[in-house]
Amino acid sequence: MSDGALAGIKVVDFGQVVSAPFCAKLFSDYGADVIKVELPEGDAARHMGPFPKDEPHVEKSGLFFVNNTNKRGVTCDVRTEAGKALFLRLLQWADVLIENNLPQQMKDWGLDYQSMAAVNDQLVVISITPFGQTGPYSAWNGYDLNAYHLSGASSRYCGRPGETPLEHGTFAADYFGAVSAATWGMAATYGRKNVGGGQQVDVSTAECIAAAFVGGQNIGGYAQDGKFDKRTGVGMPLGAPATIMPCKDGHVWMLALEPGQWSGLKDVMGNPEWAEMELFDDMFMRAQNADVIYPFIEEWTLQHGKMEIMEKCQAAGCPITAVFTVAEAAEHPHLSAREYFVDMEHPALGKLKNIGAPFKLPASPGGPTTAAPLLGQHNQEVYGSVLGLSETEITQLQSDGAI
Amino acid sequence: MANALPLQGIRVVNFGWVWAGPVVGQTLGFLGADVFKVESYARVDMTRNLPPFANGEPGPNRSLSNHACWAGNGSVSLNLKKPEAKKLVLELIAQSDVVIENFGPGVMDELGLDYETLKKAKEDIVMFSMPAAGLNGPLKNVRTYGLSLTSTTGLDSLVGYKGGGPIPVENAYSDPFAGIFGAFAILTALNHRDNSGQGQHVDFSQQEAIMQMVGPAYMDYVLNDRIGGPKGNEHPVAAAAPHGVFPCDGDDRWISIVAGNDAEWQQLVKAMDDPDWTMADEFATLDQRIAHIDDLHSKLAQYTANFGDHELSEKLQQFGVAATPVLNVADLYNDPHYKARNTYVEVTHPLDFQETIYGAYVKTSKTEADIKPGPTIGQDNERVLKGILGLSDARYDELVEQQVIY
Repeated sequence: MSDGALAGIKVVDFGQVVSAPFCAKLFSDYGADVIKVELPEGDAARHMGPFPKDEPHVEKSGLFFVNNTNKRGVTCDVRTEAGKALFLRLLQWADVLIENNLPQQMKDWGLDYQSMAAVNDQLVVISITPFGQTGPYSAWNGYDLNAYHLSGASSRYCGRPGETPLEHGTFAADYFGAVSAATWGMAATYGRKNVGGGQQVDVSTAECIAAAFVGGQNIGGYAQDGKFDKRTGVGMPLGAPATIMPCKDGHVWMLALEPGQWSGLKDVMGNPEWAEMELFDDMFMRAQNADVIYPFIEEWTLQHGKMEIMEKCQAAGCPITAVFTVAEAAEHPHLSAREYFVDMEHPALGKLKNIGAPFKLPASPGGPTTAAPLLGQHNQEVYGSVLGLSETEITQLQSDGAI
Repeated sequence: MANALPLQGIRVVNFGWVWAGPVVGQTLGFLGADVFKVESYARVDMTRNLPPFANGEPGPNRSLSNHACWAGNGSVSLNLKKPEAKKLVLELIAQSDVVIENFGPGVMDELGLDYETLKKAKEDIVMFSMPAAGLNGPLKNVRTYGLSLTSTTGLDSLVGYKGGGPIPVENAYSDPFAGIFGAFAILTALNHRDNSGQGQHVDFSQQEAIMQMVGPAYMDYVLNDRIGGPKGNEHPVAAAAPHGVFPCDGDDRWISIVAGNDAEWQQLVKAMDDPDWTMADEFATLDQRIAHIDDLHSKLAQYTANFGDHELSEKLQQFGVAATPVLNVADLYNDPHYKARNTYVEVTHPLDFQETIYGAYVKTSKTEADIKPGPTIGQDNERVLKGILGLSDARYDELVEQQVIY
């Protein structure tokens, strides 16, 4: 057993791409025993990259690598009778199943919640889908992008008015849903004694964002007053300066709202005469005169580098930050000092860096230590030692096409 | 649905303020924990005074957005500037499982509520700290707002129109994300406590939690030295085409459409009645479509503009094509799917007004989340101070008089 915080919890990860694999990784990186079950063709992430030199290879996907650490991997074709029986045996061993197949797909495989609970009533089933297990859209097909745009987040908060609403350039809905799933799923697991057994945890990634991000600050006002806002393309339309601005070598998040922050920024800019104009007296007036003030500030930012601006403004008490590129974040001394990134070794990718633990537990450290499994890497070990199948039985399952 | 909630019996003291910290408490509260936010009229959280207000009447117990984001937390009003209040807080912590805070590093020390002190009050306490960039390191005192914190992770550098500069996300996606994530961190620490008898001080750097979302772009940097930038709504690792948002009939109406493989593309072509342009060689395979994605998207946009967003989504879904309307806030509230799932619920506040907040954003088949209205400052004072800590009525009144309970 591991010495991680989740030692003793047994998990089957029957997910693909980001949402379920990342959710299961939160369990495995903190010490749970996670077995990843893949169909013979493998998790779709294995076919997505990024690949070294952009050359596709089933064992070299960066996307698969980053979301599947600390897991053992087996193949199991649940589309065959023998494979399905084998999968149910794994569920008898497990405390938790994490999956992100569309509800109809699980039904087609005979793996609806009732059938799985029938073999293990203590099992917590965490199902993560774009739209959830119930409701008019539950039968819809969907991906991260579709879920995100159904959440209200893009129309409300991201993009220029009248132009295309934007996603965040990553799997924003999948990650938000995965984290929500891990939390509610872990609570359901931790509290099984209170609850009296396992249950299904139904996560709609769209709904999580529609509620906890967009709903929180918009829905009460709309329900009462019938009024709502949309994206503006500016960081904060009601106060200024508060937006992303270009500088000499990239961009900065320009923020100086409170009087102390504004005077700090003025000091760093060398107290230019224009900044003393009455129309810039407070954050609201500055926002009303946004078309005047932003060009003034930009004239200054364009002459300075982002890290210099960040350092000087921070020292002057302003919450201004550089917009780090991925490389700048990956190489930042603060994150290195905190040992955020970890060195790993992978049979096909070799030695490489990885993003480490999302939070630090001093008494029971977590984070990735073993690389993502190769396709079917632990078939013998898991089916032999965990399920106790004989060599002959495993060979039979292989020739039946179940493994 | 009569089952006990999973976290029944867990008691939480929450010093969290603004958004992320209260969401940690809310999450645990929805799941059955008893959560008490410690606050007071000596320094009212600014989000308690954010409009719009219930029935348009301003007041620190009437902010609709504050209530939605804080619902699930109880409230005990103790003025921590008074030594007696601190004593009471430590007595409450001695009978609790978890302490939450989202101040900057060192603030809890200044309040005399550092981990060592908490540990003396309760040996196996789980203390959860979630400063912007962690408890130590050169940037530990970095000043950010929730909506700009993402700039230090690389995430902001990926958001925007293809080939353009970064576009700001106009609210702190990171706050509810880190808040819910924080509740997971607490559950892992509670599990460790139950396994080992040991509590601990969780160092949750919001920067590091958020940077997990940058994983795919980080891998492209590690493997190929490539530094990603904004690319609109295209697939994060260029694995699907079409993969975008397209205009529909009407003002600010849009649809999101994804075809993740050849079969889904064929279904999309069929749904559109096999237009000639889809037969072109450059759209024949997924690789080809990805290579010619700009052309593909502009042709698709001409098609989508003829339809309503809901109408076209329904039509494409009948062919198994992944498509959704892009909802605005009004759409969200009126959407039949969210109505069917009770995503938003109307509750009656103790001050006798109705408010709409979000409910259980995750559904659990055997338990029903505990959804309460936003907390009134000090609403749980008597239950906690008399009920749990055993103050007499006379002592309680005295402390109110002295503005310790405030």
